Amino acid sequence: MSAHNDDRRPDEVDLSDPKLSRFDVYREGLRRDGIEIIHYEPRYAKPGTKVEKRMERIVASMFLGSGLFATLFVVAYIWWPWQYDGAATWRDPQTWYTPILGVTLGLSLLLIAMAVLTWAKKLLPVEELVQDRHDGGSSREDRRFAESTVDTVVDDMGLKRRPFLVKAALLGAAPLGLAAVAPLGGLIKDPGDMLTVTGWNAEKHNGGEPVRLMLKDGALVRPDMVSTGGQITVFPAIEGGAGNEFASAPTLLIRLRAQDAEVLRENLYPMYQDSEAMWGDFVAYSKICTHVGCPASLYEQQSQRLLCPCHQSQFNVVDNAAPVFGPATRHLPMLPIGVDGDGYFYAKSDFLVPPGPAFWNRPSLPEEDEQ
Amino acid sequence: MKRRKGTNESLMTKAGGELDDRFKLAGPARVLMNKVFPDHWSFLLGEIALFSFILLLLTGTFLALFFDPSMAHVTYQGSYVPLQGVGMSKAYESALNISFEVRGGLIMRQMHHWATLLFMASILVHMMRIFFTGAFRAPRETNWMIGILLFWLGFFEGFIGYTLPDDGLSGTGLRIAEGMTESLPFLGPWVSAALFGGAFPGDEVIARLYIIHVFLLPLALLALITVHVGLVFAQKHTQWPGPGRTEHNVVGFRMFPNYVMKQAGFMLLVFGVVAAMAGLFQINPIWLFGPYEASVVSSASQPDFYVMFMDGLIRLFPAWEFRVPPYFTLPGVFWPGIVGMGLSVLLPLVYPLLERRFTKDRAHHNLLQRPRDMPARTGLGVMIIVFWLIGVISGGNDVFAQAFHISLNAMTWAGRIGMVVLPIIAYYLTYRICLGLQQHDREVLAHGLETGILMRDPDGRFYEVHQPLAEPDEHGHTELEYSGATVPKKMNRIGVLEPAERGFFKSIEEPEGEGPRNRDEIEAGK
Amino acid sequence: MAASAKRRRGWRKRLGALARFTGALVIVGGLYSVFSPSLYAQEADDSASAVDSEVVKGQELYDTSCISCHGDNGEGIEGRGPSLVGVGSASVEFQVNTGRMPMAAQGAQAPAAPSSFTEEEAEWLGAYIEYLGGGGTVPDDLDSLVENADTAAGNDLYRVNCSSCHGYAGGGGALSSGAHAPSLEGVTDEELYQAMLTGPQNMPVFADNQLTPEQKADIIAYVQYMVNDDKDHGGVFSLGRFGPSTEGVAIFLVGISSLLLATLWIAGKS
Repeated sequence: MSAHNDDRRPDEVDLSDPKLSRFDVYREGLRRDGIEIIHYEPRYAKPGTKVEKRMERIVASMFLGSGLFATLFVVAYIWWPWQYDGAATWRDPQTWYTPILGVTLGLSLLLIAMAVLTWAKKLLPVEELVQDRHDGGSSREDRRFAESTVDTVVDDMGLKRRPFLVKAALLGAAPLGLAAVAPLGGLIKDPGDMLTVTGWNAEKHNGGEPVRLMLKDGALVRPDMVSTGGQITVFPAIEGGAGNEFASAPTLLIRLRAQDAEVLRENLYPMYQDSEAMWGDFVAYSKICTHVGCPASLYEQQSQRLLCPCHQSQFNVVDNAAPVFGPATRHLPMLPIGVDGDGYFYAKSDFLVPPGPAFWNRPSLPEEDEQ
Repeated sequence: MKRRKGTNESLMTKAGGELDDRFKLAGPARVLMNKVFPDHWSFLLGEIALFSFILLLLTGTFLALFFDPSMAHVTYQGSYVPLQGVGMSKAYESALNISFEVRGGLIMRQMHHWATLLFMASILVHMMRIFFTGAFRAPRETNWMIGILLFWLGFFEGFIGYTLPDDGLSGTGLRIAEGMTESLPFLGPWVSAALFGGAFPGDEVIARLYIIHVFLLPLALLALITVHVGLVFAQKHTQWPGPGRTEHNVVGFRMFPNYVMKQAGFMLLVFGVVAAMAGLFQINPIWLFGPYEASVVSSASQPDFYVMFMDGLIRLFPAWEFRVPPYFTLPGVFWPGIVGMGLSVLLPLVYPLLERRFTKDRAHHNLLQRPRDMPARTGLGVMIIVFWLIGVISGGNDVFAQAFHISLNAMTWAGRIGMVVLPIIAYYLTYRICLGLQQHDREVLAHGLETGILMRDPDGRFYEVHQPLAEPDEHGHTELEYSGATVPKKMNRIGVLEPAERGFFKSIEEPEGEGPRNRDEIEAGK
Repeated sequence: MAASAKRRRGWRKRLGALARFTGALVIVGGLYSVFSPSLYAQEADDSASAVDSEVVKGQELYDTSCISCHGDNGEGIEGRGPSLVGVGSASVEFQVNTGRMPMAAQGAQAPAAPSSFTEEEAEWLGAYIEYLGGGGTVPDDLDSLVENADTAAGNDLYRVNCSSCHGYAGGGGALSSGAHAPSLEGVTDEELYQAMLTGPQNMPVFADNQLTPEQKADIIAYVQYMVNDDKDHGGVFSLGRFGPSTEGVAIFLVGISSLLLATLWIAGKS
């Protein structure tokens, strides 16, 4: 391994001595690795005693037990009914399929582990050895050799004598390094308006026609579909509007009690007053939390709070969904809604501020900054 | 009989000779087989992680045979009734199929997940052992850093694995990760668009995460684990102080057969525990979560426990947002999410260098320290553990609030205040306890063991008889130097370093029967 | 056993519904009879007294147990209890049969508890409140609706409307300031229906114009399937279905601690 092993020490055993036993040779091998035996004796003083035989039998039975459970595992894997058929009560045998596989495999592994470990603990000789530890770098000689080797290499290449060449090489290699990572540029995409424009944008997604509100199953939303104190998740009524393609569009349409709606109307931010964002006692808030984007949809119809289940931000429904507790810093944007001639809800415009988590150049309105 | 044995031996010798002719193995093989390893239970903690990793590779390969990392839209037609006819991504469908249509697929999925949790949990426990015993000191700082990197690679590997099935819970986690990405100043929207191929969630991210999950990160983990274990091997394992143990030797047993058999047995044991857990405990029942839909969420949405600390930090961080209207916003999540995570990577990484700077201890150390002998470091470690635990508990504070009927807002405030106050208290208490333990050790060394025998002197005063550890001087004091090793505290622990240790938690005193036979006898017996 | 209990409940409920229905008819009839006493007096006499007695009994109970918070004639008392005019019998029966009302103490939320009234008394109370002003009622054919329901559709509706508070696995969840959404385990079909219909406490209302009775039945079928029938596919223990939190606890309490014991057995301790 290292240099010291080859140093022939004076007390070295003469390996050509025919009287050497196997153990002498073995011990000499250890000695050359810097290892000394301080304690070494058989686990059982007399070989073949009852205790030893008993231990052997225990280990053997654990090996056999392991094989038995492994066989059970294979048998269960092949013949136990496993196909899920729509019910998983304790009476259905397939409910037990995974537990049986796990337990048989587990027991098989545990038993073979115990067998090997017991063998090591109870049948191997009791031993304690000391090995030298050669810590702290190479010998002075080795270092000198290495140093001179490196210096020779540097000298041969003329790294010091040819500084221009070195600079040229660096200047040449740096762009090559860039070229190696440049193809990752294929990943780069202009975020464009992806964070600011949602599925509610009539110009972009509905040919300028106002976007109506729909349920997940595509049904358009009428005011009589929500009861007082009720809430409903609505999506832009456009192609795929309820899908993940428009992940920042989901909106919570709430029908407030008359007195709560009155409170909200008094609290309404100027921008929502200007755009007449509420319709009657109905209000629509973005469902996407302004903290990091979970759906903040735990609507408490008595305390008038909206809770986000991911980080517990709480928003006051009767105060523009302004944050009242937790890590969120901005209100849930309100979707200005109205009811068209056919009696269906539609969005008067997209959200007035971008919904969802903030980003560095997020446009903010003065109303927000007052908060 | 004898003849057959002879043939066997000569066959082995012949095969060995053939191999050695080609690969020159005799020398290295001897060195390897005879290498001495110290023996202590706390040295096996890292192995749990190693073996879980092997199990992860095995079960992960099985899962990859059936998993389809595609976000293409399909309608589920499998056998789980409540999802029939529901639109979902192919990734989620194939994850459901692994659970319901592939024979034995569910046990593999559950083993993979339990092995992940075990991998991360054992890394933490192993890391605590290394930290509290000072095993990261020179010359092993590099290996400490590699260990920290392994934890963080495992962190991301695990988080991505949690994301891949594209179920409701994993999509929510991904959404949070996206929100954190967006919070990066100047780069956020671009990084997010690059990762998701446009707006979240897009239809590419699962395939991208998949190649990272099954190729890049496992490769990096495998490479670093190899170096990690290789360095332990090359630098030789640290050992506890004790009689005959010095900075310049290793006391223990040989690699073959003792160490290797114990390792192999322990590996099978780890596999067995994971298999049994996977059979008994349901984990991540994705069929309940449904496909990821941006509008759907569940109460008690949590990441796996090793990410929960980050989630807790994000939950506890106050609503602080820095704005220069209308041009610039620094979202609040940037601090716990990006800065917090960055510090959680960086500070542990450089800790050995920091400690070196403060203690000015530049020497090499191969003997471990008892935690009580380094009260400041132990206090710091307990402080970090308490901080981390509060983060983890806060990451599940809604579950706590619901299970124990505590107000959610109260949980949040308790976490906010606790995170600042409790670590300091923990530091102080730990420091005092360490000093107390030290003092007791010194007392035993000076006066001897407490025997529990009360005596009364002629003046009527009571005193306890002490059994000195060495020949006492005229005052009844023994001048024993503290060596950093365990000080016996009970009378039957004096023979603490007997190699033939028996009993499970405590040594059982074993009467010396025939006594150790000398070498000649052993040899004669052969 | 459960089935027979269900049948019994169904039978009682139907009887109750019948009584309420006739009751309502009779109250209207009774008002009519004031103006035209000769018209209905003869026929309605028997059932009228029966229903009157239900409303009267309900009022008696109300005046002893509910009036302190909800006020005279269910008009509510500011800061103590909301008005009950218009909430209907379904809401009353839900609150009373689940022991949420009467509330033991003012708090963030009324917890479920053993009911302090018999089901019959709850029906009387319901009849009285229904008499003050009607709300929704549970359909009589709920059992057959649930039997023919589509669990997949129910699952979809559950995830959009319910899981955010009650959780994917129906274990419930914490709300703000000490309030919480209760676990759905062991909850009967009727209670689920009543809760959706009336939106007790902080729960939003899902009236029939928002979720049709068929959709409610779909949700009920899914909840019963998921919470009560399909308990633990893939393991003997579901760890309370709390998700990663309890899984994390389990890996330390079961995995790490058993392996720590193993290391103590395998290797030396000095």
